Amino acid sequence: MSDIKAIYIHVPFCRRRCKYCSFISYQSRESDIPAYIDAVKNEFSLRSGNSIINTVYFGGGTPSLLAAPQISSLTSAMKDNFNLANDCEITMEANPGTIDLNYLSEVKAAGINRLSIGIQSFNDEELSMLGRIHTAKDALNAIKDAREAAFDNLNIDLIYGLPGQSVDNWKDSLVKAVEVNPDHMSLYPLTLEPEEPLFKEIESRVLPEISADTAAIQYELAEQLLEKHGYIHYEISNWAKPGKECLHNLVYWQGGEYLGIGVAAHSYIVNRRSANTADLSQYIESSSHNSLPPQEVDETITPETEIAESIILGLRLCNGIDTKDFKKRFNIDIMKRYGRQIEELINFGLIENDENGIRLSPRGRLLGNEVFWRFLPDKL
Amino acid sequence: MKQLKTRNFCIIAHIDHGKSTLADRLIQLTGAMKSDKIIEQMMDSMELERERGITIKAKAIRLSYQAKDGITYELNLIDTPGHVDFAYEVSRTLAACEGAILVIDATQGIQAQTISNVYFAMDHNLEIIPVINKIDLPSSETEKVLEEIESVLGYKSEEVLQISAKTGQGVPELLESIINKIPPPKGDVNRPLRALIFDSHYDSYMGVVAYISVYDGSIRKGDKLLLMGQGTELEVVSIGYFDPKFCPADELLAGDIGYIATGLKSVGECRVGDTITSLENGAKEPLIGYKTAKPVVFTGIYTTQPEDHGQLREAIEKLSLNDASFSYEPENSPVLGNGYRCGFLGLLHMDIVQERLEREFDLSLIVTVPGVKLIVTRTDGSQSMVVNPSDLPEPTELLKIEEPWVKISVITPSTFIGPIMELVTQSEGIYKHTEYIGHSHSPDALGQRVRLEYEIPLRSMLTTFYDQLKSRSKGYASLDHEVIGYRETKLIKLDILVNGVMVDAFSRVVPPDKAHEIGKSMVEKLKEVIPTQLFKVPLQASIGSRIIARADISARRKDVLAKCYGGDITRKRKLLEKQKEGKKKMRNIGKVEVPKDAFMSVLKMER
Ligand SMILES: Nc1nc2c(ncn2[C@@H]2O[C@H](COP(=O)(O)OP(=O)(O)O)[C@@H](O)[C@H]2O)c(=O)[nH]1
Ligand code: SF4
Ligand SMILES: [Mg+2]
Repeated sequence: MSDIKAIYIHVPFCRRRCKYCSFISYQSRESDIPAYIDAVKNEFSLRSGNSIINTVYFGGGTPSLLAAPQISSLTSAMKDNFNLANDCEITMEANPGTIDLNYLSEVKAAGINRLSIGIQSFNDEELSMLGRIHTAKDALNAIKDAREAAFDNLNIDLIYGLPGQSVDNWKDSLVKAVEVNPDHMSLYPLTLEPEEPLFKEIESRVLPEISADTAAIQYELAEQLLEKHGYIHYEISNWAKPGKECLHNLVYWQGGEYLGIGVAAHSYIVNRRSANTADLSQYIESSSHNSLPPQEVDETITPETEIAESIILGLRLCNGIDTKDFKKRFNIDIMKRYGRQIEELINFGLIENDENGIRLSPRGRLLGNEVFWRFLPDKL
Repeated sequence: MKQLKTRNFCIIAHIDHGKSTLADRLIQLTGAMKSDKIIEQMMDSMELERERGITIKAKAIRLSYQAKDGITYELNLIDTPGHVDFAYEVSRTLAACEGAILVIDATQGIQAQTISNVYFAMDHNLEIIPVINKIDLPSSETEKVLEEIESVLGYKSEEVLQISAKTGQGVPELLESIINKIPPPKGDVNRPLRALIFDSHYDSYMGVVAYISVYDGSIRKGDKLLLMGQGTELEVVSIGYFDPKFCPADELLAGDIGYIATGLKSVGECRVGDTITSLENGAKEPLIGYKTAKPVVFTGIYTTQPEDHGQLREAIEKLSLNDASFSYEPENSPVLGNGYRCGFLGLLHMDIVQERLEREFDLSLIVTVPGVKLIVTRTDGSQSMVVNPSDLPEPTELLKIEEPWVKISVITPSTFIGPIMELVTQSEGIYKHTEYIGHSHSPDALGQRVRLEYEIPLRSMLTTFYDQLKSRSKGYASLDHEVIGYRETKLIKLDILVNGVMVDAFSRVVPPDKAHEIGKSMVEKLKEVIPTQLFKVPLQASIGSRIIARADISARRKDVLAKCYGGDITRKRKLLEKQKEGKKKMRNIGKVEVPKDAFMSVLKMER
């Protein structure tokens, strides 16, 4: 029996692609938005269900490229097909270059109660290096407008570990961030794939190389600074004021089931992980035949893999894994089954344990992969 | 008489001059098989040979050719290995023939191995048919190459055929020339049996199959035979020739080339170069003096994961059934555990064996720094052979070390003489001789082509010598070498410590005055190839207890922390699975994960 608690809706449009972007998103396809919205509504009806939904997340791409009435039509179509909880968290990602007070008030009225603004940096030089469409001033305005539109659950994203970015540059952005006092912050290190323009600029030495050591120092700086300002570090890359943790993302990290709607959206339902086609035209096309989109990923998560994933995701949370919860869920004593790995990792100083369970140490948060791979099952 | 209508020959050439292509063309133009069945390079059958474009094992094929004189001749073509590591096999192959086609590339001219091949052929009194190949290429310089052939090898232009093995141009004339110039086999069918083994391989159904050239007498199925050199006795299980598949026949007579299946268990009992005769009333004298090809390059082979040792033993035993020229002995390394010290004919042979072990037996191997066989005399007068640097006695017990030297011959445009001389000097070599040979494949600006002779320690050729020769000559120089004997030398053992642990697999013997420089570049190179670890790792080079160089790998501070949401989980897990798989290609040494390639990489250092 499925027990879906979270719905993700992907909006694969951007005004212009950023130079580091690895998301599925199309530029110059905004004319497809109306057809896309119809296709998404169609997928809602094809996948409708009646479990109680606690969180909804509009991610992208740039969801704020949709007009407020379009957002509104999506939230109401969702209510027709799913059983949304009264206090359902409904998040929407927004690009500071696309929003104003009026717009934000309208989407708030359409039911959006959590806003996630992609600020990335408060430094204009860094923003243009990243190929963002907005300035630091746009970002500050966006935050002000969001507050004015009465958003009381506000996240901002920032990126560190940029080519040439000093620890002080990063500190400046962080200080500006705590000044505007968002409820939640996601901080990501820049990661690049070979096909991305920024990768090529580094490769051809137009930009300096990324220093892993600097990124590590920047991360540690963020941990200190945000703690001082009352943020709780609750996941490797996420900080929140008490009670403002992102419920949607917690579903992922706690191994809950989720339904993904739209281009390239992933679902995890009854031990199957699947993903819709990443091809926008194909997605719209299949909807016109009233059929589900083709699946790009469709894998069965075996019990062994499920255990491994739940450890990997669980260790991303700063509270770590509770031995009793784990035992209840899998009927396995984690300290016994993984005794060798856990001992080795404690010796390396990468994890800590106490009577409640295990968690990453501060150093382990920086070297998570070195921890995680050890919990993968041996290949047959 | 059938023998008069037989011609046994081989093709000799510097690598890539077109030996295999010509063999294909000859097969296509004669009655061996229908042309639509020709797949490129018929005679290079081992998968590895095809990939590397070299011929490792000799193969033979019987062709039927109707000549212009109306007579149908039987041609036996033997393909020879194309690399100096297998010079011994080449020379046995030549001994099985009466003639050789000497192929010279029209765009490259005479190269180092062209000359060594000609000398081999002359040693065996073969009739040589010189041929210029690739005349279809616009860059061919037929006239210049003709001049060169005349001045260096002494063949007049009118004796040299011009062909394109690719298009077939000139190949019909070559076939006629094979009939007219190469003499038929001279043996006598009525004399006691004498047949030369020129190749052999192990087959799990037939046992060892020997490829033979019958000189005198005849062989039938069921005959009881004796190998004169090794004393092996055997019975002929089956007999036949190649078309090029095995084609059973009733008998092989004097002048024939074919195979016998022996039922023997290992090629080591049926070695190339031995003479076969009848067990009773056999011949008195072998065809040629029998000796075995001796390994000259030695290295330790270990599995990356210690628990795979058993599989390695099995794999080595199986492989050696098929390769009599590689040797192995169990050894134990304090760091790597159980492994084997293996001997090879050269670096290419070593590469091939390693690749076959990994590919055919699905093993992940660590191959330690290759070295030579030293003759060590101790102060107490005792002498021993040392192939593992760890076995070198303490300096106080050491009286004398001798090491093998090679004669090398290099052909290059004269502009590069300076840089090559410098390389040879750095490699502890000495100059012997220069000979000017011609102008082909050498823009005038680069000067006339010369053949240079040097002598250098074989040890110096085991590092980057060949690569450097190529780069210093902008790719023009070609190289040939031959072991010439042992000379006294001064060498000491250089050790590498990783995280304080001495790793015997990195130990090398080096000249004392170069120890610092080599030690320094080894630790620097290791610093590049060993990934950062969770802690700082010192790398040290030492002589005895004295540290002579050091480099530190700093501790890893951060790996990828990237976000991980619903759409990332599968991808993230796959990345971690890859990371975990990668660990299997690492060897844990003193808590440090050392990639298996690190062991060889220390040799590929710029100097
Ligand atoms: N154009 C041209 N290429 C040739 C000719 N003969 C050989 N080749 C090419 O030269 C390369 C080396 O030939 P191969 O027969 O493998 O040389 P081997 O190493 O002596 O066996 C291959 O790429 C052949 O296709 C020829 O007559 N003309
Ligand atoms: S806004 Fe986000 S999704 Fe769009 S291009 Fe930039 S990084 Fe990619
Ligand atoms: Mg070949």
